[in-house]
Amino acid sequence: MSSSAILPVGDGGILEAVRVFLGSLWQKKLIDVLLVPLELPSGGNVVPAIVSDPSKLKMANPLAPIMPLNSARQVSAITRASPSAERLGVVLRPCEMRALIELVKLKQVSLENLLLIGIDCLGTYSAGDYGRFAQEVKSPASDFLRKFQEGKEDPLLRKACQICEYPVPMNADLVIGLLGTDLNNSILLKAGTVAGERIIGELGLKKSDAENREAAITKMVSEKAERRERLFAQVRKDVRGLEKLMATLATCVNCHNCKTACPLCYCQECFFDSSVFQFEAEKYLGWAQRRGALRMPTDTLLFHLTRLNHMVISCVGCGLCTEACPNNIPVADIFRLVGDKVQKDFEYVPGKSLEEELPLTTFREEELPNIGT
Amino acid sequence: MRGKRIGVFVCHCGLNIAGSVDVVKVIEQISNYPGVTHAEHYIYMCSDPGQEIVRKAIREKNLDGVVMSNCSPSLHEHTFRNLVTSEGLNPYHCEIANIREQCSWPHLADKETATKKAVAITKTVIEKVRRNLALTPMVVPLTKKVLIIGAGIAGMQAAMDIADGGYEVVLVEKTPTIGGHATQLSRTFPTLENITDLVVPVMEKVAAHPNIRLHVYSEVEEISGYVGNFQVSLRQKTSFVDREKCNYCGLCLGSCPVTVPAEFERGLFSRGAIYLPFLQAVPPRPVIDRQSCLHLNGGCCRACQDVCPVQAIDFQQSDTIVEEKVGAIIVATGYELYPGDGTDEYASDADVIDGLQFERLLASSSSTNGEINRPSDGKVPRQVVFIQCVGSRDPEHGVAYCSRVCCMSTAKQAMLYKKAVPDGQAYVFYMDIRSDAKGYEEFVQRVMDEEKVLYLRGKVSRVFRDGEYLKVWGVDTLAGKDVEISADLVVLATAIVPNPGAKDLARKLNIISDSYGFITEAHIKLRPMETLTAGIYLAGVAQWPRDLPDTISSASGAASKILSLFSRKELLHAPTVAVVDAEVCNGCGQCVAVCAYKAIELDARSKVALVNEAVCEGCGACAVTCPSKAVQHKNWTPGQLFEIINVAIDEYV
Repeated sequence: MSSSAILPVGDGGILEAVRVFLGSLWQKKLIDVLLVPLELPSGGNVVPAIVSDPSKLKMANPLAPIMPLNSARQVSAITRASPSAERLGVVLRPCEMRALIELVKLKQVSLENLLLIGIDCLGTYSAGDYGRFAQEVKSPASDFLRKFQEGKEDPLLRKACQICEYPVPMNADLVIGLLGTDLNNSILLKAGTVAGERIIGELGLKKSDAENREAAITKMVSEKAERRERLFAQVRKDVRGLEKLMATLATCVNCHNCKTACPLCYCQECFFDSSVFQFEAEKYLGWAQRRGALRMPTDTLLFHLTRLNHMVISCVGCGLCTEACPNNIPVADIFRLVGDKVQKDFEYVPGKSLEEELPLTTFREEELPNIGT
Repeated sequence: MRGKRIGVFVCHCGLNIAGSVDVVKVIEQISNYPGVTHAEHYIYMCSDPGQEIVRKAIREKNLDGVVMSNCSPSLHEHTFRNLVTSEGLNPYHCEIANIREQCSWPHLADKETATKKAVAITKTVIEKVRRNLALTPMVVPLTKKVLIIGAGIAGMQAAMDIADGGYEVVLVEKTPTIGGHATQLSRTFPTLENITDLVVPVMEKVAAHPNIRLHVYSEVEEISGYVGNFQVSLRQKTSFVDREKCNYCGLCLGSCPVTVPAEFERGLFSRGAIYLPFLQAVPPRPVIDRQSCLHLNGGCCRACQDVCPVQAIDFQQSDTIVEEKVGAIIVATGYELYPGDGTDEYASDADVIDGLQFERLLASSSSTNGEINRPSDGKVPRQVVFIQCVGSRDPEHGVAYCSRVCCMSTAKQAMLYKKAVPDGQAYVFYMDIRSDAKGYEEFVQRVMDEEKVLYLRGKVSRVFRDGEYLKVWGVDTLAGKDVEISADLVVLATAIVPNPGAKDLARKLNIISDSYGFITEAHIKLRPMETLTAGIYLAGVAQWPRDLPDTISSASGAASKILSLFSRKELLHAPTVAVVDAEVCNGCGQCVAVCAYKAIELDARSKVALVNEAVCEGCGACAVTCPSKAVQHKNWTPGQLFEIINVAIDEYV
């Protein structure tokens, strides 16, 4: 399962090459519909959309350095109740792909009839930043790719992207590879599964390999890992201990946007939206009396700790929780830091393999040998 | 929420509680707590006058909630729930606040801490009772039939006890015959009775019992259900011998050209591919061993088919699955010896044998006019070294535990050896002698004093072949010197380990086994014959190493547990189980994954979790796991838990 092919880049550039490839999936009747980011007619932003008419592909832009939503959640919305009846292609970034795998394990996504197309991720901007760039330059996507080709990583990229050690999609049938290729001439299409391999064959593409790919990936990952360690050291200093954590969460307004943006918070009805945390007046006043002062609302810390408890083992670090926070609380930094520890303790990499069972609900005779040491 | 009129009753338990908890102060602090209508303390609440206090208060104060602050609920929950029921309340409106095991005992020296904690514990339980709902136990039907897995001495004993009590027994045995390891042994200790004389009549009785259905050469394939209603599939392995046609003539046995080591003889003697484990096997029907039969491995041999006068050999036969419905199960899967030839320091040599092999030499000596012949050359061994604790009490090379029977079986083997070879010399290397039952110590003394068996306290460092002899290097720690013996035969008292299939079976049955594979009992002191899964019981060495009388006692114990279970018309199941709110359930299946009792499944159509209430033991694992709290435990709802936590925190913050 290592076959890969070349997608030639012509005058239309990389984006055109990707659009041509996506269109060919229709021509060869390999898919019926496609979930892919589309540029809005007004310009300035992209949103995930289900495309049934291939002519709409002229607006498709999976290269735009923006991820307004984690599309794994959209795939869940489509396939949760029943598997897709038509052949559905989905174009996902690595963190979306990893979230998707976690959602499959949580039975919130059905892979039946799905063609998973991953795309190398060079990072994304916040929605606000991207919107601004879109007004400044004609095509923020090509501008971004040009910068990447020049070997510069933009410090304005989202923090989650700057420290992401998974720039390459895992578990995709097909990967659109940008790393390690000469983007002026060609991009790579790499098969990750038997299905992917068959498609490369059916598309009649020229088989080839990008020799520099592994080296390019290793270089990128090691740079990001270094940045990640620096960030972890800072976050540890900022949030360790109850008092510092409370201070970090001080501006939380209980809007639960982080929960809504999280691709993995899959509950249809969040327990924190139920009435369990609504108390009678005298309860609040009694607590206030006893302690001198009572922080309101009372369930803020519990909400975040519970979300950590439920989700951190599966956290893919997409960072959309931080994006969604109206008060810029670094939710994702906390999740990444705690997740790093917990995931290592359980030797679990979220989204890596469908065969790896969710550790918290899997009985192992020997686990957590380091607890208490 | 305000509705309930709650009575709180604080017990002194003599000085058990009152010695470290100031009960008067507890009453003072509880009396004004919201909802508490009555609060009282007494020296022994469980006594008749104590119970009368509770009754009187329920009647006079019109209480509809009762909190008993006393010992663990495992001791008196049923006492007080019965009491409130007889006063017309629902039993689930009564809860125990454990202020003894969890409060007065651990804080013996600190009255202030203990009293404060007793108040806090009592208040949390008041909050629970305030929100408890009235619940009614479920009625579950009871199939009065038993599955016994393993037909060794334990399984046979339990089967007879239950069958004699008038209930049907399905007795399943993996090997081709019932009887188990006991049939391999020579004589008993300490009375030296011939074991064949004891066991074979039992086997015959079991086979002839109208209430016992035997399934030999069969294994449990699958089990589902719960106490009173287990559904069992048994795989009857094909023996290639037609059960109906075979007339037990035995002509086939001599016809087979194959020779393989006989399991029953522990490899000391051989058998054919078609074989009877031993002469008195029950049923006496031969089986063909698929692995070694020439015909079944592509050959053209049909020797057995040719000699069979009734055409009972059927090479086309295949496994069959038998379905049974039973109400209770006994696991009596027995033991094996520690795998391999003990440990490295003992040579792998034909004349280094394990205890069961020596039993076979002793047993077969009846056919050699009482002579014992060593395996390598048939010579009568003049010097025999017995080594105890091979693999046992040796966590580095074997198992940490004591195998319990080897001290006595070694003593017996040494005695029988001396009886067979009066001028021979037997040595026993031992760590300690464990002879702790009726007549055992006297027996060991006889072996030492009368039979002049030389007991050496110490370990053997090495056994190796030196020409005709086996050199045994050891140490006598009492004399403080090294010992070297030139032996003709070395007998290892190899550790007893659980049947290797027991772990797998435990998984199928949803019961727990320990790291060795012994089945774990519900309580090591108080409930040794039960597992933690209701309706599944334990007998014999499947639980822990035992000798014959202990095995038989435990088997009869398990049988009596089942007879008592079957004396009821139907079963009641506690209603404190999990419930699912289908509207909130995400169908993620995490609850299914954590349920130890297989009581939850995802409904394929609605993709919502469904609880089988009769199987649910109310452990609460699913409720904890469910992220949206769509699964909740009756009378342990998140609302109750948060109130309890809040109250507990309030007491200390």
